[in-house]
Amino acid sequence: MTTPLEAAEPAAVQAAGPGDERPTHRGTLQYALSKAGGALFSIAMVIVGTFFLFRLLPGDPVRNLAQGRNMTPAQLDLERRRLGLDKPLIEQFVDFVGDTLRLDLGTSYEYKRPVLDLIGERLGPTLLLAGTGLIIAVSLGIWQGTRAGWRHGSRFDRFSTGASLVLWSVPTFWLGLLLMMVFGVGIGPIPGLFPFRGIESVDAPDGFAYILDVASHMVLPCLTLVAVVYAQYLLVMRSSLLEEVSQDYVTVARAKGLKDDDVRRRHAVPNALLPTVTLVFMRVGFVVGGAVTVETIYTWPGLGQLFYEAVRVPDFTLMQGTFMLITVAVILMNTLADVVYHMLDPRVRAA
Amino acid sequence: MALLVAGQGTTAALAQDPSAGKKTMRVGATQAMDSMNPFLAVRLVSTSIHRWMYGYLTVPDSKTLQPSPDLAESWTTSDDGLTWTFKIRAAKWSDGKPVTADDAAWTFNKMMTDEAAKTANGPAVENFESVTASGQDLTIKLKAPQASMLENPVPIMPKHVWESVTDMANYDAEKYPSVSSGPYIAVEHKKDQYVKLQANPNYWRGAPKINELQVIFYDNPQAAIAGLKNGDIDLIGRLQPPEFQAIQNDPNIEAWNTQGRRASYLQINHGATTTDDKPVGDGHPALKDVKVRQALHYAIDKQKLVDEVQNGLAKPADGSIVPPMYTDFFWEATGDTKVAYDAAKANQILDDAGYKKGADGVRTMPDGKRKLEFRFTIHTDTPIEDKLAEYLTGFFKDIGITLTTVKLDSSKFSEETGVTGNFDIAISGWSVNPDPEEVMATHLCSRRPAPGGEGGGTESFFCDETFEKLYQDQLKELDRPKRAEILKQMQERLYTQAPIIAIYYPNDLEGYRKDRITSITPIPETKGLLYGGSGYWPFYTVDVKATATGGGASGGGSNTGLIAGIVGGVVAVGLVAFLATRRRKSTADERE
Repeated sequence: MTTPLEAAEPAAVQAAGPGDERPTHRGTLQYALSKAGGALFSIAMVIVGTFFLFRLLPGDPVRNLAQGRNMTPAQLDLERRRLGLDKPLIEQFVDFVGDTLRLDLGTSYEYKRPVLDLIGERLGPTLLLAGTGLIIAVSLGIWQGTRAGWRHGSRFDRFSTGASLVLWSVPTFWLGLLLMMVFGVGIGPIPGLFPFRGIESVDAPDGFAYILDVASHMVLPCLTLVAVVYAQYLLVMRSSLLEEVSQDYVTVARAKGLKDDDVRRRHAVPNALLPTVTLVFMRVGFVVGGAVTVETIYTWPGLGQLFYEAVRVPDFTLMQGTFMLITVAVILMNTLADVVYHMLDPRVRAA
Repeated sequence: MALLVAGQGTTAALAQDPSAGKKTMRVGATQAMDSMNPFLAVRLVSTSIHRWMYGYLTVPDSKTLQPSPDLAESWTTSDDGLTWTFKIRAAKWSDGKPVTADDAAWTFNKMMTDEAAKTANGPAVENFESVTASGQDLTIKLKAPQASMLENPVPIMPKHVWESVTDMANYDAEKYPSVSSGPYIAVEHKKDQYVKLQANPNYWRGAPKINELQVIFYDNPQAAIAGLKNGDIDLIGRLQPPEFQAIQNDPNIEAWNTQGRRASYLQINHGATTTDDKPVGDGHPALKDVKVRQALHYAIDKQKLVDEVQNGLAKPADGSIVPPMYTDFFWEATGDTKVAYDAAKANQILDDAGYKKGADGVRTMPDGKRKLEFRFTIHTDTPIEDKLAEYLTGFFKDIGITLTTVKLDSSKFSEETGVTGNFDIAISGWSVNPDPEEVMATHLCSRRPAPGGEGGGTESFFCDETFEKLYQDQLKELDRPKRAEILKQMQERLYTQAPIIAIYYPNDLEGYRKDRITSITPIPETKGLLYGGSGYWPFYTVDVKATATGGGASGGGSNTGLIAGIVGGVVAVGLVAFLATRRRKSTADERE
């Protein structure tokens, strides 16, 4: 979970940085610690909750695994022992918590491998896709939102707000298939431009050409992801800029005779960025989890696809592991959003 | 962005040299491999791939589908049918070591002694008393006669590679190149992405005509169809009627429509019980009456279901669970036995049996207590089953029976309809192997759940003395035509007792690129299956055009990638230019 942080943080801080009132960080540490305490508590609740949630699900997991195959009671017992389901619930719970704390998320029934290994393999592709998508969506959203907000009511505003809302409301699956048909298969005389399956060609070249190969595979999934999520950044940026525009300090800045461009870039935008930055962090976790549909359309070997497979089988240990990971990611990102907000906005610190 | 897009052209250009002149065939699959370990793998795609990799004792003959020599070049049976001796041919493993009877004995013994090794093919060795090897002779002693011995579904594994595996349950067998004795060797597997197989130069029949066979996984069928249209893959099997119709008019694609190996049927809860005959579940009591089940059968217009639900791509079922493609074993109802669509007759049967229609047109039980209101259990997210439910509801309404649909996800579905018995009528189906013994066995008393309410593997909770006796008889009958006769009687019993009602036999629908695949032999050879068939025959005989220009995964022509690169580059440059001018323009506007 560290990569998106490192990737997203400098960009966010920089975006807010040029403001002339850069905050001092006194008090931030205490604040961060208290937030971290809260996050730890939430994570503990997630672990406990996950245990009971997955045991409350209807059906006997072992029978589910048997999938109507002809299994003898001896085989079923073996599976039960393997999954530790023969022990009393309290013992299972203690084992589960202990294992989870030691980062042992169990063995996937379907793949016969440790869940953590599987997640590790899939994390990279998801971070690559979701990270790139997020960076593009955020940049595009902030840029377009600023334009639209500054000149609200203009044709650009009406067009970009409308377009983003349409994309936001379109079902991801449908949009993904549409993009696949148009840019993947091609229509009429237009040839297919981009691959639409997987992260690399089956006979992928080596070296730099490999990077290009992966990049070309990223185009369509990334486009789909961006199209669907960027509207929220645009809208938040637009509305918070609109709010700033009506503030007195903007009027003062204009009255001082500053260039309109400067007023926007140096005064209004830095302040308007705050909600967007928070949103970015809050959404990192969700983007990781929310890539499920996109990864499924394009057979992208990430966490989303893994989760989809786990649900399809169903593979309880794998579902449990991916579920916990995604939940913990959301918690961590929200905590981080709080801390970053605290660092950026003096008003929060005062409160 | 410019970098991303420009990449296309370069990739295709670079990919040209290494693959030039190589014959590669790419098969699309919409199900990913569960395990490369044949002792554990149960999914259809995995067992298919293992059939291309490993040798078996026997293989269905490509013309008759009867068992023919594979790794076992000949065999003998003792008079009592209890001792089988197979002579293993002098073949080589792909690493050059000889294949011996010891390898086969090790494989079977492993399955008999290690619970985990039973995961995939446990039932196949259940009747084995002992397995021993002496030179090239493999001797299997059975507990009871078993006519289907020659249909053994177990791949023979190389002892010298596998005997060091101690924890079979957790062994994923991801070691490449694999050591196997079939036409292909696995050389690479990327989870949920692809499997690459190379021709085995040591294969005893001679190496396949192509160099490489790739199995490429897709998470959704639409993408797989798009991949076929685009030329990313050369063949895809197991299509649904709407998917098949999507490829039918493509000039580059051969739409392969032939008789299938599947039967679709309704399971009827005629009184589900466990192996100790205790009732389980909440099935409607009226369904215990064979007359009601027969009336249901008469009320179903199978031709209409074929036309409207399967888009005409199926054959109405006038038999039972064995589809007509298995000419040796297929049984068809004729004369008085035959149930033809006749709603009036169905009504008559119910009237005579005392199920009277109420004022609302719905019948009640003879004791007047319960109305004939049945649930129909189907899977969630299966449009075809939704459609089927609609039609059946209509058919049954005509005879005074109300049908409501219950949708369950697949795990809940198999639990309720196969173990707990919480259903009235449910959709079901089975892909039948060349020997129908296994599908017949799913209707045995012993396949019902154990007294504890678990285990089993029943399709219908059927438990019928006549059927059981016939099953035992066919096991002992080593004369094939006589055995086929008994198997037909079993199908007739299922037909007349109606614990299940076969509705149609879906066609086998596949598609392949005729501009890439130059020849492929189906199984059976006359007009059979390709991917969906049993055995390796189609994939052993397949021949494709050599990749002269690379083309690679982007396919569709050698310079598509280049065009894409140029177009993408132009678009990207244009976009950058546009943004730059916009920016300058807007700053100019805002200058005072």
